[in-house]
Amino acid sequence: MHDVGYVAAGYTLTLATLAGYRWHLAVRARRARRYVTAVTGRARRGRRRP
Amino acid sequence: MRHLYRALTVLGSYRAQRMMGIATLAGLAATVLTGLFVVPPDAAQGDVQRLMYVHVPVAWVTFLAFGVVFIASVGYLKTGRIQWDRVAAASAEIGVQFCALTIVVGSLWGRPVWGTWWTWDPRLTTTAVLLLIYVGYLSLRKVADSPARRAKWAAVVGVVGFIDVPIVHESVVWWRSLHQQATVLRVGAPTIAGSMLATLMLAFVTFSLAYGYLMAVRLRVGRLEDRSAVPVSSLPSPRARRPRPASTPAAAPAGTLAGTPAPAQAGTPASAPGDVPAPIASDSHA
Repeated sequence: MHDVGYVAAGYTLTLATLAGYRWHLAVRARRARRYVTAVTGRARRGRRRP
Repeated sequence: MRHLYRALTVLGSYRAQRMMGIATLAGLAATVLTGLFVVPPDAAQGDVQRLMYVHVPVAWVTFLAFGVVFIASVGYLKTGRIQWDRVAAASAEIGVQFCALTIVVGSLWGRPVWGTWWTWDPRLTTTAVLLLIYVGYLSLRKVADSPARRAKWAAVVGVVGFIDVPIVHESVVWWRSLHQQATVLRVGAPTIAGSMLATLMLAFVTFSLAYGYLMAVRLRVGRLEDRSAVPVSSLPSPRARRPRPASTPAAAPAGTLAGTPAPAQAGTPASAPGDVPAPIASDSHA
C-alpha cells in the first residue's frame, strides 16, 4: 500500500511537468504575439485566436 | 540536414501540431491506464515497478532530445544557419525538463527499492552530470552577447556535451552499479514479460510523440520571440505591403513604424506606456 504513494507521485509529477511546460510555452507565445501585434499593428500571419 | 529541417517545419504546421497534441493526450491516457491498472505487478518489486512505464520512456526522450541538440549543433557549425541553433535550443530546453524528471522519478522508485532517495551510483551520477551540462548549455545562451556568438558557443557545447549520453547508457556495464542493466536497448532479446514490454513500447511511442509536440510548439514560440526581439525598424510595416488610399497621410519618417513614434533605441519601442508591451528578452530562443 505504501508503494502506491510513490507510484502515484511519479505519475502525477510526470503529467504535471508536461502540462506545466505546455502552459509555460502558451504564456510565452501569448506575450511574444502581443508584443509583435502591438509593434507592427497587425497580428502574425496564421490562425487568429478568438 | 536540409530534409530533417524541412520535416521539422512540416511538423510545425498548426494542423500537425494539433493532431500531435491530441495523439499525445490519448497516448498518455492509454499509458497511465495500462501501466496502472492492466499490466500485472512485478513479482519481486510489486506495484512500485509500475514507475518503469514513465521513468524509462522519460529517460529515452532525454537521450532523444540531447541527440537532436547534437545533430542540430553539427548542422549549425556546418552551415551557419540560425534555424539549426533554434532547433538545438528548443530541444535542449525540453531535454533538461525530461532529464530532471528522470532523476526525480528514479529517486521515487529508488526509495522503496534501494532504501535511499539518492546514492552516488555511476548511472545516477553520470545522469546528474548530464543535467548539469545542459543546464550550463542553457545558461551559456543567456550570457553570450551576440546571436552569432551565442549560437557558435552553444553549438560547441551541444556537440561536446553529447559525449555524456553514451557514458550514461553504458555506465551500468562499465562500472559496478546499483541500477539494473538495460532490459530493452541491449544485444539480444528483451528480458521482460510480453505484456510489460508492450506497455513499455506504448509509453515509448507516447513520450516520443509528446517530445515531438513540445518541440513543434517550442519552435513556434522561438520564432515568435525572435520576431519580437529584432529591431523595430526591421519589422514589416503593415502599410508597406498594402496600396495606400489617396486620403492617407504621407509615410512616417524613416526609421519609425507607421503610426508609432520613433524608437529611442533599436529593439525598444518608445511609444506611450501601455501602447506597446515590454519587449521580449533578446536571447529569446535560449
